[in-house]
Amino acid sequence: MKGDERMNEILTQEKSIYLQISEMIENDILRDIILEEEKVPSTNELAKLYAINPATAAKGINILVDSGVLYKKRGIGMFVATGAKEEIKKRKQAEFADKYIKTLLMEAESIGITKEELIRMIKQSV
Amino acid sequence: MNEEKLICRDIVKTYGKKDVLDHVNLELEKGKIYGLIGRNGAGKTTLLSILSAQNPATRGTVTYNGMPVWENREALDHICFSRELNPIGSQGQSNLKVKEYLQAASIVMPNWDNELAKHLVEKFELDEKKKIVKLSKGMMSMVTIICALASKADYTFLDEPVAGLDVVMREYFYRVLLDEFADSGRTFVISTHIIEEASDVFEEVIMLDKGKIILKENTQELLDRSRHISGKAEEVDAMTAGMKTFHVEKMGRSKGVTVLLEPGQELKQTADVSVQQMNLQQVFVALCGKEVE
Repeated sequence: MKGDERMNEILTQEKSIYLQISEMIENDILRDIILEEEKVPSTNELAKLYAINPATAAKGINILVDSGVLYKKRGIGMFVATGAKEEIKKRKQAEFADKYIKTLLMEAESIGITKEELIRMIKQSV
Repeated sequence: MNEEKLICRDIVKTYGKKDVLDHVNLELEKGKIYGLIGRNGAGKTTLLSILSAQNPATRGTVTYNGMPVWENREALDHICFSRELNPIGSQGQSNLKVKEYLQAASIVMPNWDNELAKHLVEKFELDEKKKIVKLSKGMMSMVTIICALASKADYTFLDEPVAGLDVVMREYFYRVLLDEFADSGRTFVISTHIIEEASDVFEEVIMLDKGKIILKENTQELLDRSRHISGKAEEVDAMTAGMKTFHVEKMGRSKGVTVLLEPGQELKQTADVSVQQMNLQQVFVALCGKEVE
């Protein structure tokens, strides 16, 4: 994702663990590892599996509840909503430009590749 | 039961002329895992021993559910501080065999879970017939972990529980801890120097520096607002103008600083300035470490 490291940067890219949990569940839904209307692991199961605090696991799950990917069945657990897979795809497409193109442009700018050159390079590689 | 709390107010501890704890105020809630981190000599062990009334404070009070804990059996029955063992133990425990030591603990702790203790002895492959004094550092840590978990105390403190444990046992310990936590909703306070691998286990982190609590915050929220900014010094200064910066590092024209964002603040990476998220160990070093010039 990133270009060359620069002086005084810190050497590890960290991402919040609860975001990793929610993204992992989303990716499992995209890959049909968890199907729509199926139950996802509980916060305690996730906590034990990844050795993380259950409150952190719950935070990851709650992001998906808020975005409508998961819904709660009282006393049973969290389930994948119908249509969730399509929704995740749409959102990831919308985020694509911000996540990948901007980084690409930034790195290109810092090493003096013009926008025209960049477009030519993309055309060549597809 | 939600008001159940362990509270310390304005704790001062002085050894001779040295202030080891300097007006410490702390509220520990029921059902959380707290990480207590600080450099050597920051006062971690002293704080835990005062919270569990194993050591008198010079000034200030510690209360459990409103009751003072000092010389109060009723409150202390809910609190367990499983101290680090060492082979030249001054408490005379070192000549005991593991089995005898655990028996002694089972008498002191009113809610002792013998089955859990036995299960953990087996899992850790501890030889119960061995004397404490003959144990390796890692095996001593296992004994203190067993005492802490089997105590079933509502408030359980572990001082450097993973010292001397290999990476497999450390991970095993955190899983056992989370297991016990999920089943019981007890409160744990855990001090450790191996910050990074424990950070995801702590719901809240308490940073102690030179006898003062410099930070007590939800671990994930702290990480969400910690940023390392680096690049050309002027650009870094422009981006962080008006913000409190920690741990300034300079090298030639380049500069790196740490900032803690306030609610609503955001810093965007540019072509000239890198904005990076940090892990707990990096935040700790930034707040408590030495400046590198």
